Amino acid sequence: MSDVSSDGILKGVKELSLVHKLSMHLGVFVILIGGWELGSRLGYVNELIMPPPTAIGYRLYEMFFITGSIYWHYFVTMFEAVCGFIIGVSIGLSLAVTSAISPVFRRYWAPYAVVFNVTPGIAVTPFIIAWFGFGWSSKIALAALVCFFPPFINTLTGLLYIDKDATELFRSLGANRKQYFWKLQIPSALPIIIAGLKLAMTGALIGAIVAEFFSASEGVGILMQRFAFRLNMDGSFAALIVMSLMGLSLFTLMEYMDVKVLFWRRHSRMEEVSKKRKAKWSIN
Amino acid sequence: MSTELDTDVSHNIEIGGDFKGGLGGAMIRHLIILLVLLFVWEMANRTGMGDPLLLPRPTDIVLSIWKIYVTQGNVWYHLWVTFKEAMLGCLIGCIIGIGLATAAVLSDVFRQFLKPYIIIVEATPRIAIGPILVTWFGFGMSSKVALAALVCFFAPFVNTITGLLGVEEESYELFRSLGATRKQVFWRLMIPTALPTMNAGLKLAVGSAFGGALVAEFISAQAGMGILMARYTMSLNMPSAFAGLLSITLYGFILFRIMEFIDYKVLYWRTDELMEKKSLKRSLAWKKEMQS
Amino acid sequence: MADEVVIEAKGLTKAFTETVIAVEDAIFQIPKGSFISLVGPSGCGKSTLLRLIAGLIDKTDGNISVRNAEVTGPRKDIGLMFQKAVLLEWRTAIENVLLPNEIRGDVGPEAKQKAWDGLQLVGLKDFEFSFPRQLSGGMQQRVALARLLQTGADIMLLDEPFGALDEFTRERLNVELLRIVDDPEITTIFVTHNITEAIFLADKVFVMTPRPGRIAAMIDINLPKPRTIEMETTPEFNALIKEVRDVLSGHLDGAPL
Repeated sequence: MSDVSSDGILKGVKELSLVHKLSMHLGVFVILIGGWELGSRLGYVNELIMPPPTAIGYRLYEMFFITGSIYWHYFVTMFEAVCGFIIGVSIGLSLAVTSAISPVFRRYWAPYAVVFNVTPGIAVTPFIIAWFGFGWSSKIALAALVCFFPPFINTLTGLLYIDKDATELFRSLGANRKQYFWKLQIPSALPIIIAGLKLAMTGALIGAIVAEFFSASEGVGILMQRFAFRLNMDGSFAALIVMSLMGLSLFTLMEYMDVKVLFWRRHSRMEEVSKKRKAKWSIN
Repeated sequence: MSTELDTDVSHNIEIGGDFKGGLGGAMIRHLIILLVLLFVWEMANRTGMGDPLLLPRPTDIVLSIWKIYVTQGNVWYHLWVTFKEAMLGCLIGCIIGIGLATAAVLSDVFRQFLKPYIIIVEATPRIAIGPILVTWFGFGMSSKVALAALVCFFAPFVNTITGLLGVEEESYELFRSLGATRKQVFWRLMIPTALPTMNAGLKLAVGSAFGGALVAEFISAQAGMGILMARYTMSLNMPSAFAGLLSITLYGFILFRIMEFIDYKVLYWRTDELMEKKSLKRSLAWKKEMQS
Repeated sequence: MADEVVIEAKGLTKAFTETVIAVEDAIFQIPKGSFISLVGPSGCGKSTLLRLIAGLIDKTDGNISVRNAEVTGPRKDIGLMFQKAVLLEWRTAIENVLLPNEIRGDVGPEAKQKAWDGLQLVGLKDFEFSFPRQLSGGMQQRVALARLLQTGADIMLLDEPFGALDEFTRERLNVELLRIVDDPEITTIFVTHNITEAIFLADKVFVMTPRPGRIAAMIDINLPKPRTIEMETTPEFNALIKEVRDVLSGHLDGAPL
């Protein structure tokens, strides 16, 4: 598994003032959208293929403020994804911890882990639907299945690859297994574990949506599919934007957790935490 | 945003360490465990503890494998269809991803403008655009190729950017002090430096292209492994569905191995064995040249 | 030494921001064939000064000229070496040495013979076709040195080239470096934070102090040549060390490093 994230992209870009940056991005965005709108209005863009932004915008407005139909679907998909995430991550983490602690378990579980690694999780969708039916549970199950692997492999990697010198330091201090696990292994593995959780979050959302495509009566995924099949393109684009928003909000949540938990990796957070700890410090 | 992580963790951790080593004893132990598990599963089913309809007996699955591969032989066609979709999609996706990444790396302005869109694309479940693509491209092969390409372009894109930006400042300084042109810096320094990361991205792309093709088939298709498995499960022919799933696993495993092999061959400077071979070859070529 | 001046700086200044002044008002002349050590603590601007001479970064103010020509960019007669060997790991040692020729587009038999001889000169016989990963840190730096010689540059700028190596390897490489650059045509500037090393190698030591980066003293080293390791224990040598230390400590009192 891997950590695919946009972090590296920010490297090397000159820092501009926030206002400058925002206005620049906004300008480009407006030009893009304006061009698209103009293209549709003038008939250069087929509305059946790319509906004009205003139509999509209106459809979004309608969904959110006139009929309010989107909220329930939003909630359903979100619920499925988050439940799946929690279940998948619990399974992934427990498998990883067990594998890290017991070499025997690791050895015999390894071939099956390879199987999970090379099989696209969503290939199991039809089975999950057959086993769990058409309701919410099948979506949760698929979300869990699709998302458990990254936390598993990342956690295992993080727990196993501990700095040798640090291990020796702990041994020389006479730390027991528990202390070694909680005070060294877990903190050093946290960055990579969190990277795994981020991947899992995206995976869970994908799992829930794909299961909805396959068969569902509610959720943003099925909503978008119905729109698309009825050639209601503005509706399906609106649904796509809603899914984007869903992804972005979950993503932001994970980023927030990253910033909070991994405070020692950011200068500003380090200052904050060190001030806090100084205030709390007392000899007694 | 400072989590700089290794892009390909699966490489660092040899999950199947002693399994891959091909040690006879370990292999046999693994086989025994597998057989025991299968036996328990089979017996549980026969004694009525498991639901044979949902979790078919291993023997039934084996029979189904025989059926779909030999007696009916229908799986070959579907495998071929999915393979074509996934590979074509992967190819297109990788070209787009690497092309965009190169442009983004070479032009700071372009990278700056691309940034917010990258974050949106990263956070959006890209597979969700499937129904739209199916409406655009129809129910045939092209919609599957399109979804596969769309799903898989991101990993090579991000990895190429990370790889190309990962060149150390000193290396640039060396090239500049030697008076290298931009083109020389790109081909002789940036690309080879980025290759390991780029390869890791391609490896991920192959897997996700496969997933993308399957999902597009679930949405609507006449042929392919996705729709084949969907038909089997809908008609509760679970043994055949499992046989299909196992084929996908096998196929995924073979692709994975091929990618690893390419990795191994291309990145020859990362394995002692290949380095020794190469250096011998090059020194012989040198001696020949200097003699003549 | 009334020799021809190859490098000249007048009021050379480099400021990264208004408060971060890496090099301030550097004035010096470096005669042809001399060996200059640039010594100072981390962050005192020695690497920046080196990069200004190399034409890798632009100055903020003042003048820097090489052979009476203003430095505007990298020049063919200037070669660089870094603390990292900066070898391309997909190329064998000799292919790394040939890189300068490849970039200039003249990889002929002559260049190849020169690369071969260069590797023998730095003591890498039989390692011509090893990949960087197969070489030790010291050997990698030897390859980098051979590559530097291959450029044909007669001004060599070395930025802590052996700083990452162990003391024993460093001493040996220093002696070999002196042997290789002992040529009236070759001018060398050697950046280091090791005072002993700076004195041992140089004809003249520039002592730099940080915030802002200034050349606080230029000390002539009149030890006999060729230099040997034993000289490091002589009273003259120790007196020189003390002289450099005094300059540095006058500026560093109290600041946590």
